[in-house]
Parts: sequence; C-alpha cells; structure tokens
Amino acid sequence: MSGRGRFRGHKNDRNHGHKSLSSVAREAAISLPDDSPVLQMFKVAAQKLNDRQDRHERLVKLSRDITIESKRIIFLLHSAITIESAEIKINEANERLQKLIQGPIKSIGLELENSPAYLHSRAVTAGFQEFIEARTFCSFLEKKLLISWSEVQKELEYVMEEKSVTTMLTQSDYMLGLADLTGELMRKAINSISSGDSNDCFESCQAVKDLYTGYLGLFSIDRELSRKMSTTRNNVFKVESAVYALKVRGGEAPPTLLLAAQPDWERNNHSDDEGFF
Amino acid sequence: MSSRDIINTIFGDFQKSLDEEQEIREKIRNICKDVDQVSREITTVLQVIHHDESAISAACLTARELFEKANIGYSKLKEVVPSGDYYKYHDHWRYMTQRYCYLISLTIWLEKGILATHETVASVLGISAEELKNGFHLDIDDYLVGLLNLCTELSRLAVNSVTRGDYNKPLQISKFVMELNAGFRLLNLKNDHLRKRFDALKYDVKKIEEVVYDLSIRGLLPKTETA
Repeated sequence: MSGRGRFRGHKNDRNHGHKSLSSVAREAAISLPDDSPVLQMFKVAAQKLNDRQDRHERLVKLSRDITIESKRIIFLLHSAITIESAEIKINEANERLQKLIQGPIKSIGLELENSPAYLHSRAVTAGFQEFIEARTFCSFLEKKLLISWSEVQKELEYVMEEKSVTTMLTQSDYMLGLADLTGELMRKAINSISSGDSNDCFESCQAVKDLYTGYLGLFSIDRELSRKMSTTRNNVFKVESAVYALKVRGGEAPPTLLLAAQPDWERNNHSDDEGFF
Repeated sequence: MSSRDIINTIFGDFQKSLDEEQEIREKIRNICKDVDQVSREITTVLQVIHHDESAISAACLTARELFEKANIGYSKLKEVVPSGDYYKYHDHWRYMTQRYCYLISLTIWLEKGILATHETVASVLGISAEELKNGFHLDIDDYLVGLLNLCTELSRLAVNSVTRGDYNKPLQISKFVMELNAGFRLLNLKNDHLRKRFDALKYDVKKIEEVVYDLSIRGLLPKTETA
C-alpha cells in the first residue's frame, strides 16, 4: 500500500517528489477501501449506538411529559380549600393520574420492553420521581395513607390482548419521590393553617416527621438520596416551626397573621428547591 | 393499618432491598478483584512487544492462557449478577472489561494482523455480544473504548519497532489505525465518555503519521508492498 502511495506522492504537483507530513496522512486515507470488513463492522456499531441514542431521546421526552403533568396534578391538589372541593379535586387528580399511567408511563414500558433495565434509568428517573410525588400525595389526601412501592408497581402492569408489559419502577425512584413528598406535605400543612384547619395541619406535620424518621433509619443509601436528605430536613424544620407557631399563638390571632409571625429562626432559612411559603 | 405502620413497612422493605443489593455488590467486587488482577498480569506480559520482537508469539500464547482464566471469572460474574440487572452493576466491571477488550484485540492483532470484532472479543470472554433484556453481555461502548486503547498502544509500538530496526511494522500499524479512525468517524457520538476517548485518537494517529513520515523522507521504508 505504501509503495503505491509513494508513487502518488511523486505525481502530486505540490509535493514534487518531496514527502510532507500531510501527504502521509492523505495517502493512508486514500488507500482505504470503502467497504472493508472493518468499516462494515463500524457501520453495524453505528447503528447500535444510534438506536440506543434515539431510544434515550424518546424516553427523556416521555419523562418530561410525566414531570409536567405530575406537577400540575400536585398543584391541583393544593388548590383545594374546602372539604367538598377537595373531594372533587382528588377525583380529578386520580383521573389524571390514571391517564398518565395509561399514557406516557405505558409508553415507557413498551419502549423498554426489549432493552436491559437500568440502561436508560437516567432518562426516566425524573419523571418517575415526580409521578410518585403526585401519586403518593393524592393517596395521602384521599385516605390519609401512603401508597407503597409494590402497590404502585402493580398499577404499572398492563395486560394487553397479545402480551403483558410492566413498566419497571425502581424502588430507589420511589424513595426519591417519597422524599419530595415531604415538601408537598409541608406546603399542605402550612396551607391548612391559613385555611384554619389545624387538624389537617397536625396530620400532615406528623406524616412529614414519620417520613423523616424513616429516612434517618436507612443506611447504605446512594448518593442521590443522601443529597435529597438535606432538603427533607429543611422541610421538617419548616413544618415544625409552623405548627409551633400555630400552637403557641393559635388563640391570639387569626390564622393568616400566624404566617407572618414565623419564629425568628425560620425567617432566613428558605431553600430554593421548595420555594417560599 | 395506620399511617405510621405503612411508613414503617415502606422503609423496612426498602432497607431490605438495600441490604440485598449491598450483598450482591460485595460478591461482584470480590470476583472483579480477581479478574482484574489477571488483566494486569496480561498487560505486563504483553509489554514485551515493545522491546523484543522474538518474544511476541510466546507472549500471545501466555495471554491466551490467561484469557481462559478471565473467561472463568466472567462466568462467575454472570452467575452472581441477577439476570436483567446488568446495567445496575455495570460500573463494577466497566473499566476492567474495557481493558480486556483492548488486551484481546491487541493479542489478535499481533497474531493475525486483523481487527477483533465485537463478537470475537465477547466469545473470548465467554459472554454474549448481543444486548438483550436479560443476560450478561459485552457492552458496545466498552468494546469501542477498548479499540481506542488499542490504538494508543499501537502508536507506541510503531515508535518502538522503529527503534528496534523494524521499518515494516509502522506501515502496518498506520494502515490499521487509519482504518479504525475512518470507522470511528462513522459513529454519531454523544458527548459522553466514548466521545472524549475518541477525541484523543487523533494524537495517536498523528504520532503514527510522524513515524511513517520520518521513515519515508529518509528512504527507510521497505520497497516491497508488504504492508
């Protein structure tokens, strides 16, 4: 191959028998056959990589859809003020959750039907976490009970005419979503102060505490979950101080004023993640 | 069941699954330690190619024997990793597998001068090349990173074979690496680890080109078309 290349070098006007560094590269490139087995192999590899990337992109898109709708469902659940309106809104939230389960979440299951689990878990984890947050929040408002991982997983099993598909929900995604739930429960507790429902407030507060106790008891958790712990801890502090304010000054002022009368240690302790209340 | 009971169950179950996961990871770590040690041994054995031409075929034979050992290690790994959880624990054997891909493809190149395919490398390790929902396979990224490592090693070999007086080998290496370079350009790489590793390939190519250039301007290239 080199002999031929060298000969070409002679014919090249610019080089005139002299070899330059770039001509070495050019010759090597020219001498390559277009359809060598090596290039064939790379074409196959390129196809595999492309398939993987395309699937990843589709999953990211589905995950984003789930995130957006879940956030809206949570917002809807917060907007309930009276008991009657709460019931209507919970029903609507349940319907919309069902639509998510039958829509994008099912699509994820179908998309991943033949590919190894966890390969794309990074693409879908955000959507699942947000979904869990909405799903558990809804079940908490409905029955005052949390829905467990295995129960949610069961909801994600689809039986179709010709086959059955399960969208795998990893237990760690569930736990991450549950950690986010403490933020919603905190907001719920504080909202119930302003709507004058102190019983609701205590209940939500207790649930946040119980969850926090649970997280404290875990060991050998992964990095992502431990990162969430600091947010969870802040949520606990916030809700506890709000309930404290309700208890101490509850008889003295109308509930709306209580919010303004936060204890001093809480004033400058906002976290970006959970917003201001 | 009260709310607190449910929360206790949720966390109890999760802790149980964490414990099980830790146990599996411990087993994987132990196996990987042994298999990784074998790969270091092969790396050392193959270093002889840089200073002793005559010892190359013997080194390849030794490497082949050691690949058998690795093969056994991978079959143990296959047993321990729950089918379907390949990518959950992938990090444990990713770098080790990349090194094996490099070692196997280097051995095969030294023996026959050809590129070891994905399937060939996988079969030497005794695992599948196909990515299925369940089972233990050779990840395509790992294989490709192995090839890039091979290019780096070959660029070194090009330099050292000239030192040894072998002016033929650099040409053979140049052709082979250029072909791989052309192949890698066919891939649409994302901004990931493979992409970063690929970006370094040009330095290997450059090094090899410079060797060929040096030989050619001094008329040291073999006259026959043996490359």
